[in-house]
Amino acid sequence: MKHLKSLVVGRGAAIVHMMKTFLAISPLLALPAMGLAQPSVVLTEHVRAELVAYAPQGVAAGQTVRLGLQIQHKRHWHTYWRNPGDSGLPTTLSWQLPNGVQVGEIEWPTPKQLPIGPLMNYGYEGQLLLPVFVRIPANFDAAMLDVKLRADWLVCKEECIPESGEFSLKVPTKGATASHSNLFTATQARLPQIVEGNPTARVDGNALAVEIDGLPPSLHQKELLFFSELAGLVDHAAPLGQRWEGTRWIARIPLSAQRSESPSSMHAVVVAPGQISGMRVPLAVTGAWPTTASSPVGVAAAQPAAETSSLLVTLGFAFIGGILLNLMPCVFPVLSLKVLGFARPGQSRQTLAASGLAYTAGVIASFVALAGLLLALRAGGEQLGWGFQLQSPVFVSLLAVVFTLIGLNLAGLFEMASLLPSSVATLRARHPIADHALTGVLAVAVASPCTGPFMGVALGAAVTLPATHALQVFAALGLGMAFPYLAVSMVPRLASALPRPGVWMLRFKVLMAFPMFATVVWLLWVLGQQVGVDGAASLLAVLVAVAFAAWALGSPGFGPIARAGYGAVALITLGTTAIWAWPTLQSTTSATSTVATGSPWQPWSRTAVAKAQHEGRPVFVDFTAAWCVTCQINKRTTLSDRDVLADLERRQVLLLRADWTKRDPNITQELARLGRSGVPTYALHPASGGRSIVLAEILRPSDVRRALADIPLARTSERSPTASMRTQTQ
Amino acid sequence: MKKWMTGAVCTTLLLSATAAMAQATVGKPAPTFTATDATGKQVSLSDFKGKFVVLEWTNPDCPFVGKHYNSGSMPATQKDAMAKGVAWLSIQTTALNWRVDNTVAQLQAWQKTKNASPTATIVDGGGKIASKFGAKATPHMYVVDPQGTLIYAGAIDDKPSTNLSDIKTATNYVSQALGEALANKPVSHPVTQAYGCSVKYL
Repeated sequence: MKHLKSLVVGRGAAIVHMMKTFLAISPLLALPAMGLAQPSVVLTEHVRAELVAYAPQGVAAGQTVRLGLQIQHKRHWHTYWRNPGDSGLPTTLSWQLPNGVQVGEIEWPTPKQLPIGPLMNYGYEGQLLLPVFVRIPANFDAAMLDVKLRADWLVCKEECIPESGEFSLKVPTKGATASHSNLFTATQARLPQIVEGNPTARVDGNALAVEIDGLPPSLHQKELLFFSELAGLVDHAAPLGQRWEGTRWIARIPLSAQRSESPSSMHAVVVAPGQISGMRVPLAVTGAWPTTASSPVGVAAAQPAAETSSLLVTLGFAFIGGILLNLMPCVFPVLSLKVLGFARPGQSRQTLAASGLAYTAGVIASFVALAGLLLALRAGGEQLGWGFQLQSPVFVSLLAVVFTLIGLNLAGLFEMASLLPSSVATLRARHPIADHALTGVLAVAVASPCTGPFMGVALGAAVTLPATHALQVFAALGLGMAFPYLAVSMVPRLASALPRPGVWMLRFKVLMAFPMFATVVWLLWVLGQQVGVDGAASLLAVLVAVAFAAWALGSPGFGPIARAGYGAVALITLGTTAIWAWPTLQSTTSATSTVATGSPWQPWSRTAVAKAQHEGRPVFVDFTAAWCVTCQINKRTTLSDRDVLADLERRQVLLLRADWTKRDPNITQELARLGRSGVPTYALHPASGGRSIVLAEILRPSDVRRALADIPLARTSERSPTASMRTQTQ
Repeated sequence: MKKWMTGAVCTTLLLSATAAMAQATVGKPAPTFTATDATGKQVSLSDFKGKFVVLEWTNPDCPFVGKHYNSGSMPATQKDAMAKGVAWLSIQTTALNWRVDNTVAQLQAWQKTKNASPTATIVDGGGKIASKFGAKATPHMYVVDPQGTLIYAGAIDDKPSTNLSDIKTATNYVSQALGEALANKPVSHPVTQAYGCSVKYL
């Protein structure tokens, strides 16, 4: 093979060669270093490669020194970046170092675009140094640091030649090794800088929609190049769509038609043409990858089972809630009358069953219709920018008002009028089955004064759940409400098992008021987290005014004049209070207290995660929110567990807390990337940037400790600029 | 004026080549083509309807291709596939009108020394076929099923190197895809990242 004739000099030969070359090439520079560090050079037809060291303070135990492979390319020849682009191979370094000496990955300098026809490669021409950081162990006491390196590189012009070399170098422990300080300094300036800010990436059809803020002013308004560190993802040769919105760079990166990767997170380097150093951008990828490619990698099984089971629990509660609706004073007597009718002889079992089913269908249909209406309102509202989420203080306040009213109603402070006039309630359909279905519909409406309170709870759920879940919850509620009737229609003997109407129903109703008030307490606490104690106090004042108004307008036993008088005063009070409270409920400036000073937890940001991983530390992220009860329980139990905390500390895990109490699109996006849609979510990112582990929602100490045991140990004991380290032994 | 025209034509050609690069997608019908093979016969992809077809981008001067031929693994993969009724097309893309006769002769002579005998050998002058398939590297491998659907695109194996000794421990994606498709199983790695020398469009 004519291209394989390249001169690859082995280690033995290299030393002789080295002597010649370096005496010839750089006598002045190299001579002082001769006795100290023994350089090693490999010459081929296309490159001159040299193993170099930079240890200006010598090689002291516990220190970090730098090594690197210097490659000088012949004109028109190039070697490749970590992602070589459409063809080519990245250079690989395989180190042999004394026991305990740790070496990092290659710190890749910012690459260049190397187009060949319709193809695009990424790599380097001219002068190149591929530096690594090396950590000397605390017990290191040799006189020389003995370094051996096997390097493989592919050097190409139009044709490609695979070359390799074996290098050895002895770096003296005492005294400086700094003959290549210029080279190392110049290369340091070519390394991409980590971008501050919160860059985002979203899969959008056949492109990746990327938005990056926090880029330095030197890049602003320039047309940028985008280098994905991952091969097999983007179309390397295709032009980008890009624009600037102020200091924010917005680009569409076309995906490769033969995409082999579907990452959930990735890194890219962006650079302005002509600038020597780019910016390294961590990107969490949201959105679904188009099909036909392999399944996503990078996140260990997020737990869909847990979500399914939590939905099942919700549905179960909705069903039970539906059954409880029947116990409400204005439903139960109707129900029992209807049910007692079943006991009459002369009706065939089939007719009974059919009527039971029709009634059930009617009830469920009305509930689902109600939910549909609500969801339509929600969708409309979201388009209008209303926040129907517990992250919105206004929404939390409204929920608190609603629950207070529900509680007061149950407690008997006021009564609600029926939604439908009784004339409508007595409408009968001609067809007996249709009549039963209509009865079901009407039962929902007629019973509204009593069912309203419970419906309020379901309404609250409907606006916070995803649409399909909300519809299921309402259907379960309807099924629950129709269930006793259905059961009796199927098995008429059950009728005798039903309790008789009585005073107990009123007591039960009042009893139900207390859970409602407890809910208000929780909502107030959430609001307190969001807007502070002033906001919470304002809301309490509003609640008092609401209670006053409800009593004045809805309490039985007022004459028309008394009601008008009290009502007017109550409405004015309520209006004034609401206006006074409004600003404090809106302000979201007050800091949340979830990350207290002096706590080991720091606020989460994607940059903080990337930085820690870069420094060789694993990261544990607690995605939490004040309104999330499970989160609070986990925080007080597992995350306060002494053994768990000790384990986290021993492994030098950086603890970050992502507080989702208020809206935060960055956190929302990170959750989506982890395959989750809400909190609690616990993520453990290993230092090496490997697969992130998502832990169970109900966090047990054993879960955390097992996950910790599964990830590689943190490699550095202090913050150093090294990338993840791996130990090399001889 | 003439220069400007030539420039415009070149740009248009390049742009259309780039646009055409995006054509072949795994799971969709493979692009069709007709070409003259090394023996002077007309060959179309549609000639092989009802058979699995392997398309192999090759270049005897490329050390990555050399790895898979000098080790004998590519001819063995080929022989094995053809014994199962698979058609194998070896394609070398060259610049337009780049000493085509010479290339054909060299390619055939080289195949002979390596004991390779594909169903057809095609020299793809100007990269017409390569741009339809989006071939980027040598070797770049494609598998088309009997219905004409592209079911595999990517590398020959999972060890991107020129190191002969890697072949023993590598997973051969083409053999795997053919084995799975012939057994009516889904292909476990339908798209991989091809590695090697660049396809010589210019």
